[in-house]
Amino acid sequence: MSQFVEEDRAATTFRVNREVFTSPEILELERQLIFDKTWIFVGHASEILVPNSFLLRRVAGRPVIFVRDSSGQLQVLLNACRHRGAEVCRVPSGEAKTFTCFYHGWAYRNNGDLVHLPDAGAYGPGFDRSRMGLDKPPHVAEYRGFVFANFDPDAGRLEDYLADSRYLLDLIADQSETGMRVVPGVHSYWMNANWKLLMENSVDGYHAVTVHQTYFEMMMNLGVRPGLARPQDPNAPKTRGAGIDLRHGHATTMSWPGRAGALALLTDDHAKQMYAARQADLARRFDPRQVEKIVNTARNTLYFPNFVTVDLTFGIQLRTMWPTAPDTTEITGWLITDPELDDELQEARLDNALTFWGPGGLATPDDVEALEQCQRGFAVRRESPWSNLSKGLGRDVPDMSDELPQRAFWREWNRRICGEKLPYEGTPYPEVAALPVYASASAS
Amino acid sequence: MSPTSLDRPASAAVDAMLVQREVEAFLYRESELLDEWRLEEWLDLFTEDCRYDVPAPDRPRGTAGQTFSLIHDGRTMLEQRVIRLKKPTAHAEFPHSRTRRMITNVRVEESEGGGLDVKANFAIHRYRNWTHVLFVGEYLYRLVRAEGGLKISYRRATLDLEVLNPEGKVSIII
Repeated sequence: MSQFVEEDRAATTFRVNREVFTSPEILELERQLIFDKTWIFVGHASEILVPNSFLLRRVAGRPVIFVRDSSGQLQVLLNACRHRGAEVCRVPSGEAKTFTCFYHGWAYRNNGDLVHLPDAGAYGPGFDRSRMGLDKPPHVAEYRGFVFANFDPDAGRLEDYLADSRYLLDLIADQSETGMRVVPGVHSYWMNANWKLLMENSVDGYHAVTVHQTYFEMMMNLGVRPGLARPQDPNAPKTRGAGIDLRHGHATTMSWPGRAGALALLTDDHAKQMYAARQADLARRFDPRQVEKIVNTARNTLYFPNFVTVDLTFGIQLRTMWPTAPDTTEITGWLITDPELDDELQEARLDNALTFWGPGGLATPDDVEALEQCQRGFAVRRESPWSNLSKGLGRDVPDMSDELPQRAFWREWNRRICGEKLPYEGTPYPEVAALPVYASASAS
Repeated sequence: MSPTSLDRPASAAVDAMLVQREVEAFLYRESELLDEWRLEEWLDLFTEDCRYDVPAPDRPRGTAGQTFSLIHDGRTMLEQRVIRLKKPTAHAEFPHSRTRRMITNVRVEESEGGGLDVKANFAIHRYRNWTHVLFVGEYLYRLVRAEGGLKISYRRATLDLEVLNPEGKVSIII
């Protein structure tokens, strides 16, 4: 059994040693064995729609230029001059055909090729300019607009890595026929807690009532009932939804149809209008069961190691995190939306989204507070070494508020850090997706 | 004595000084209410159709309502924000942060319709959980004259921070 992750299915117990949240040695192992070996989210294709548009980003700790080159090809360029290492691009976003290092003037085309260096004649015949372009991650791949990089030369295919989590990306990408768009504006903020605590929290259906009590009270003050999108089916299951192990460390917690609106502030009219508009469009393109999943469920999904999508009726957030220290995390949040929705709905959703999410929202600061309090509590890790994540262990289809997604994350973490392979849990996505609950008529 | 040619400009200058003084006193008063967590009284400084915006740090000039800003509150949500912040279950602010606001470089311009467009610089020191956070930026106000004095119809706090660190909870009013 590994030193850090203990699972005992007979005793329905799953626990994680708190050392993993505090140890600099563990962080170094995570960088080598996880961040340097897995597919890391870079950005969404819609962020750089026009040729020559670029933005700077940090991917697994590396500064990169995420750019659409002059030929329209997406590129991820390592932002360090091949000459002496200075960052060649210092503007956070914009349009450029070339990037010129200001130190000695080496200039690169936006596909990475070296096009100019001052006093080039001084370099001998062994200097091969064609091999001196900006370096790139060994692998970059896109899945339906979501762009990932992998720094492991021996990495396998992105689609294989994503396993069943690609179905959850489909449920986002399928919302727009012309392509989902990232909304301008990035939430970039730090928290004083370990990055894995936010991965856990991002798929945690257990904390909502306690941590976000004031958010629900605000909803009630405004006369908003939960579950506005549709009346609940009297034959619906007793649980709110399912926790699903998507394999390879990815997992989701997904509501049953009609249970998606728990956090939506949209008025009845807005909700009905939006539901009708989206439903009609989707019904042209997908079968009714898929339409139900796309438009009428809520889902929080984690993609190992550090990417999250939270797809709720009022908006879709993308989120990544990067550990700058064991107890410090840099968090980046974006919104992605369906550009076909009309302006009024777009603004209503955007308002709702930022009222809930982000540093100034009425919910996210309380999440961050909880995680920072955990980090402080870990000072007792010698006397009280274990965090417990046993809720719902052993159920065939764990509920939305069970801790299956966190366990799925930790099993993969454990496999990569400690080399121990534990079996998957629960019912796989294709089987959950085939349950009768999704067959309820969309037209009702 | 007959009026001299200097009277008119002199009185305009005095008027401007009085307005400047009035606006500064208003902003200082507002800061005091916020630092003392007298948020219900602070809310009374706003008009019924007010708005409070905090743009995303990477889009300081972004159009509110079309960008993923940090805060975009109308009157209703501003009231709810205040109600929430006064509860012990608003975990991020319980116990409350200690704050101290420095408001400087106040610039006042008369705007159309008798209102005032005000810019000011701010530095807000916030202490909580043994962490010091400094929020620095610029305010933009639209103030209007109402019964009982000036009221805020628009208030935008634009942060100069590129990334919200060392910690990112904008759970106080900035």
